[in-house]
Amino acid sequence: MGRPGGQGPGRGGGGPMNARINREKPKNLKRTIGRLFRYIGKSSAILVALLGIMICVTVIDLLGPFFQQKAIDTFKIVGDKTIVDFESLTVYLVIMAIIFVISSVLFYAQGLLSAKLSQSTVFIMRNDLFRKISRLPISYTDNHRHGDIMSRMTNDVENVSNAVSSSITMLFSSIMTLCGAFAMMIYYSWQITLIAILTIPITILVSTNLAKFMRKYFIRQQKLLGKLNGEVEEMVTSYKTVVAYGKEEKAVNNFASESEALRKNSISARVWGSVMGPVMNFLGNFQYVLIAASGGFMMLKGLGITIGAIQAMLQYSKKFTHPINQIANQYSAILTALAAAERIFEIMDSENEVDEGKTEFDAENMKGEIVFKDVDFSYVEGKPVLKKLNLKVEPGQKIAIVGATGSGKTTIVNLLTRFYEINSGTITVDGVDIKDIPKDVLRKFIGIVLQDTVLFCDTIRTNIKYGNDNATEEDIKKATKTSNADRFIERLPEGYDTELTEAGSNLSQGQRQLLAISRAVLADPKILILDEATSSVDTRTEMHIQQAMVNLMKNRTSLIIAHRLSTIRDADVIVVLSGGVIVESGNHEELLALGGEYSKLYSNQFAGIAT
Amino acid sequence: MKLAKYLKPYLFFAIISPILMIGEVMADLSLPKLMSYIVDFGIAEGGLEEIVDSGMPYEIMTALFGSDFTQMNVIITFGVMMLLIVLVGGFFGTMCAYTAAKASQGFGHDLRCDAYRRVMSLSIEQTDKFTTGSLVTRMTNDIAMLIELVEMILRMCVRSPMFLIGGTVMLLSLNLKFGVVLLCSLPLLLATLILVLSKSIPLFSTVQKKLDRVNSVVQENVSGARVVKAYVREDYETNRFSTANGELKDINLRVLRLMAIIHPVLNILQNLAIIAIILIGGIDIKNGIAGMSVGSVMAGITYVTQVIMSIMMVTMMFNSISRAIASGKRINEIMDSDPTVKSGLSDGSSDDIAVSFENVSFRYPGTAGEDVLHDINLNIKRGETLAIIGSTGCGKTSLVSLVPRFYDPSAGKVKVGGIDVKDYKLSVLRNKISYVMQKSELFSDTVANNIRWGKEDATLEEIKDAVETAQAKDFVENLPNGYDDYIAEKGASLSGGQKQRLSIARGVIRKPEILIFDDATSALDLVTEAKLRKALHEKMKDTTVIMIAQRIASVKEADRIAVIEDGTIKHCAPHEELMRISETYRDIYDSQMKNGGDISE
Repeated sequence: MGRPGGQGPGRGGGGPMNARINREKPKNLKRTIGRLFRYIGKSSAILVALLGIMICVTVIDLLGPFFQQKAIDTFKIVGDKTIVDFESLTVYLVIMAIIFVISSVLFYAQGLLSAKLSQSTVFIMRNDLFRKISRLPISYTDNHRHGDIMSRMTNDVENVSNAVSSSITMLFSSIMTLCGAFAMMIYYSWQITLIAILTIPITILVSTNLAKFMRKYFIRQQKLLGKLNGEVEEMVTSYKTVVAYGKEEKAVNNFASESEALRKNSISARVWGSVMGPVMNFLGNFQYVLIAASGGFMMLKGLGITIGAIQAMLQYSKKFTHPINQIANQYSAILTALAAAERIFEIMDSENEVDEGKTEFDAENMKGEIVFKDVDFSYVEGKPVLKKLNLKVEPGQKIAIVGATGSGKTTIVNLLTRFYEINSGTITVDGVDIKDIPKDVLRKFIGIVLQDTVLFCDTIRTNIKYGNDNATEEDIKKATKTSNADRFIERLPEGYDTELTEAGSNLSQGQRQLLAISRAVLADPKILILDEATSSVDTRTEMHIQQAMVNLMKNRTSLIIAHRLSTIRDADVIVVLSGGVIVESGNHEELLALGGEYSKLYSNQFAGIAT
Repeated sequence: MKLAKYLKPYLFFAIISPILMIGEVMADLSLPKLMSYIVDFGIAEGGLEEIVDSGMPYEIMTALFGSDFTQMNVIITFGVMMLLIVLVGGFFGTMCAYTAAKASQGFGHDLRCDAYRRVMSLSIEQTDKFTTGSLVTRMTNDIAMLIELVEMILRMCVRSPMFLIGGTVMLLSLNLKFGVVLLCSLPLLLATLILVLSKSIPLFSTVQKKLDRVNSVVQENVSGARVVKAYVREDYETNRFSTANGELKDINLRVLRLMAIIHPVLNILQNLAIIAIILIGGIDIKNGIAGMSVGSVMAGITYVTQVIMSIMMVTMMFNSISRAIASGKRINEIMDSDPTVKSGLSDGSSDDIAVSFENVSFRYPGTAGEDVLHDINLNIKRGETLAIIGSTGCGKTSLVSLVPRFYDPSAGKVKVGGIDVKDYKLSVLRNKISYVMQKSELFSDTVANNIRWGKEDATLEEIKDAVETAQAKDFVENLPNGYDDYIAEKGASLSGGQKQRLSIARGVIRKPEILIFDDATSALDLVTEAKLRKALHEKMKDTTVIMIAQRIASVKEADRIAVIEDGTIKHCAPHEELMRISETYRDIYDSQMKNGGDISE
C-alpha cells in the first residue's frame, strides 16, 4: 500500500467537482498565453492555413453588403416609375453567387481546419501531460488528490480545447471584422467614424463590467453545483451508514437547502446574463442613430458626404457592434480556458523524477546484497522518519521488517526503489550506490508485491505479462504454476483471456493477490519486496498463498513487511523498527528470548489469544 | 411527460414568460422599419416628399412638429424612438428571462429535491444497481439538462415560431412568388440538418465511451503509479494512453467534421435566397407588376433571412429536446423505482430483542447462480455476544445485512423480538440497531458531529463517554482541535484504526439494543480491541452483539461463535467446544496461532 509510513498528507477521494470550482483568474496571464500559443503553434501548417482562410472569409463578409447594395442600386426610380438596369443586375447577382459559393467553401474549410487544430492541439497536450505524469516522482501522486490530477487531465484539457476550437477563432475573426469595418468606415468618412467610435469605450466599459458582475454569479453557481455534487456523492457512497442510522430525512433536508441556494443564485445568474444582450443592443443602436444624425447634420451643412456613404456606414456600423458583442461573450470562456491551461502547465512544470544513474550494472550476474548506511529520511522537513538507519541484507537472505504503524517500514521500500530520495547516507546494492544505477535497471531487478494489488482493465494474460513484456505463453504458464494461480485461472470460462472489470473487482481478494504474485514471478527479480502482501486476505486463504510465496522467495534476496506471524516467522532475520531506528534484530526465537520490543509486539499483535 | 407536473407551481411564470417574449419580438420586428424610415425619409434625397405619402410616419411627425419639419428632425425623432423601443424590448426580454428562470429553476429545485428524496428512500440493492457515479450525474447533469430545456422552451417557443410564421406571412404578402424561394430552400436546409444530426447524435455515445477509456487509463496510472514504476512500464503506459487518446481525437474529429457542414450550407442557402429575391423582384419590376418596389425587395431580404434563421433555431431546439428526453428518461428511472424494502407497521415490543434467523436463504437481487446464504437457522438471545467467523466471501456480511433490512432474504424469515423484521416500521427497526462497518464511512464534518450522527441531540458529555468506550479518547483529544477537528476527504488524514474507532463511537452513542460489528475492529491491535470489548461488556450489558471478525483472538471470548462456510453455518458453539468439534475452526486457529499461542499461555 502506498502510504509513506503514514506521514504523507491525505490524498485520494475527491471527485473532479473539487477542481471545477477553481475557476479563479489565471495568475500569470502573459506567460500562460505564450505557452498556450506555443502548443497551438505545434500544428503551425494548419494554423497558417486557418489564418489565411479567416482573412479571406472576413474580406468576403465585408464585400457581401457592398455588392448587395450595388445590386439594389440598379433599381432606379425615375419619376413615379421604377426601372431596372437588368444587365448590370445580372452581373452583380452572378458576382454575389460566386462570392457566396466561394465563402461557403471557405467556411467549410475553416470549420474543418479549426476542428483539426483544436483536436490535434489537445491530443498533443494530453499526451505530453500523460508522459509528464508518468515521469513524476511518486511523492507527487502521494501528495496530490487523485481526483484533482484526473480533472486536470479531462476537464481542464477540455476547457482549453473548447477555447481553441471556438473562442480563439471567434476572437480572431471578430478582431478582423472590426478592423475591416473600421477601415471601410474611415474610407467613407473619417469625421463620422470618429463620432461613431465614441461608443466603443462605453461598450467595452459596460461589457467588461457586466461580465465581471456576471462572473461572480457564475463562479458561485459552479461552487454551489460542486457542493451539491459532493453532497450527493458523499451520501450515496455512504448510503449504508445513512440508512443504518435513519438519516435519510436529514440528508434530504441538507440537500434541499443547498439546492435552494443554487436555485436562487441561478436565477440571478440567468437574469444578469440576459441583461447583456439588450445592453449591447442598445449601444449598437445608439451608434446607428449617432451615425445617421451626424451624417444628416454633415449633409445639411454641406460638408461633402453622400447619401450612399451614409447608407454604407450604417451597414458597416452593424458589422461593428457584432464582434464587440462576441468578444464580451467569449470573455469568461477565455478566462476559464486560461485558468485551465495554467493548471495544466503547473503539472508540466513540476520536477521530474531524478535519474542521474550512469553506471553500467550487470544485473544478470548480481548477487543481491543490500546495505543501508546511516540513512536519514523525512517526508516532511523536521519530522524524521528514519534516523541514521543501518541495515545489511546478505545475498539470498530473507529479512522481515516489523514495527508499529508509522514506524517507517514502508519507507524502507520507498527508498530502496528510489520512489523517494534519501536525505543523507547511502544505500548500496552489491556495493554500488543505487543513485548511480539507472532507475530502469534498478527497478527491473527489484520486484514488489503490494497489499493493494494493482490490476488493469485488460485480460489476465496482459496483467501477468506486465512483469515481463517479452514473456512467452509458456513462461506465463510456468509463472502461474509457481504462484498456484494456474488452477483458478484455468477454471475461468475464458481462462487467460478473461477480461478484468474495474481493476479486477470480478476476482476475489486472494485471486487478485495470486495474480500480483504471478506477475512478480514472471519478472524474475533478484530482489523481492513483499509489502503487506497478504494482509488483506483471510488467514486460511493466506495459507494457500503461502506456498506461492515460499516458491517466489527461493533464491532471491527478500524483504518482507508484514504484521502476521505466519508470514514472518520463517525469515532468516527479523528487524524491529521503532522511532526510525532498528531497535532489535535476530530470528524469531532469539528475539522472543530477548523479551524486548519484539516480544511485546508479538503478544499485542499475534498472541492476543491469551489476553 | 410525467415530469411536467413539477412545472405546475410555477405555471404563472411559465405562462407569463412567453407573453413577455411577444413584447421583445415586437420590438425586434419593428426596429428594421424604424431604421428604414431614418434612411428613406431622413437621409435619402427627397425624403421629405416621400414621407407625406407614408401614412403613419407622417402622422407621427406632424403630431410632433406640425407640417414644418426638417430631415434632421426625422432622424432624431425616429432615432429616439428606436432607442426607446430597444429599451422597452430589452425590458420585456429581461423580464421574460427572469420569469423563465424563475419557472425553470423552481421546477429544477423541486424535481431535484423530490428525486433526491426518492434516492434516499431506495433500498441498498437499488443504489448498488444504479451505482454512485450514475446517481450523481443523474442528480446534477441530467436535471441541469431538463432545467435548460424548460428555460429554452419558455423563451424560444414563442420567438422562433413567431419569426417563422410572421416572416413567412410577411414574405408572401409582399409577393407570392417569393414563396417559391422558401419552397426551394427550406427542404434543402431541413434535409441537411436532419442528415447531419441523425449521423452525429449516435456518435455522441461513442465519444463518451472513448472519453471514459482515456479517463480510466489515467485513473489506473495515477492510483497504480507504484506498480507502473516498479515494473518500469512508463513507456508502455504512455503508448497505451496515446492509443486511447488518438481514438478519442479521431471520433471527435468525425463529429466536428459532420457539424462543419451546417454553417456553409446555411450560408449558401441564405445568400442564394437573397439573390433569388432580388432577381424575382427585379423581373417583376421590369415587367411593371404593381406593388413591387425597392423597399419591398429590401424587406423580402430581411424576412427570408429571418425565416431561415428561425428554421435553424427550431432544428437546434429539437436536438436539445432529444438530449433532454434521454435525461428525462434517466430521471424517471429513479422516480419509478419503488423501494423494494418496504416499511411495515409494527412499533415492536421494546424489551425482547432476541434475533432469530429461520430457514433463511439469500441471494443478491438480480444475480443468478447459487445462493449466498443457504438455509440458515440461528437464535441469538438478548444480551448475548455472537461472533461470526469464516473466510472471505463466505456470506458473513450478507447474513448480518439482513437484520437492519439492507436486503431482504429470498426465503425464510429474520425476526427481532419475535416479530418478522418486515413487519417493523423501518425507522423503529433501524433505531434499535447500530451497524458498524469495516470500511468506516465518515462524513466531511467535525469529529463531534460525525459521532452525533448516531444520536442527534447528544451532549458533549455523551460524546466523550462514547469516545472513551470506543478507545478513541487519547487520539481524539490529541487532534489539533479535539472534538471540533474537521474530518476532510472522508477521513484520509486518519489511520484505519482511528477511523474504525470513530465509527464505533458513533455506533455506541445511541445505546442500541443490537450492536453489529462487521469486521469493525480489524485495524485495531489486540490490546486495544480487548479493552474495547471489556468497555462494551461493562457499559452495554443488555445489548445483543453480533460481531464478524477474522482473528481468533477477537472472537474467542464471545458467548458463541458461528463458523460459516459456503453460505451455511457449519457449527455454532463457544470456543472450547468448537476446538473440539470443528475442523474448519481448528484450521483457522492453526493458521493464526501455529507455534504462537503456547508462548503466552
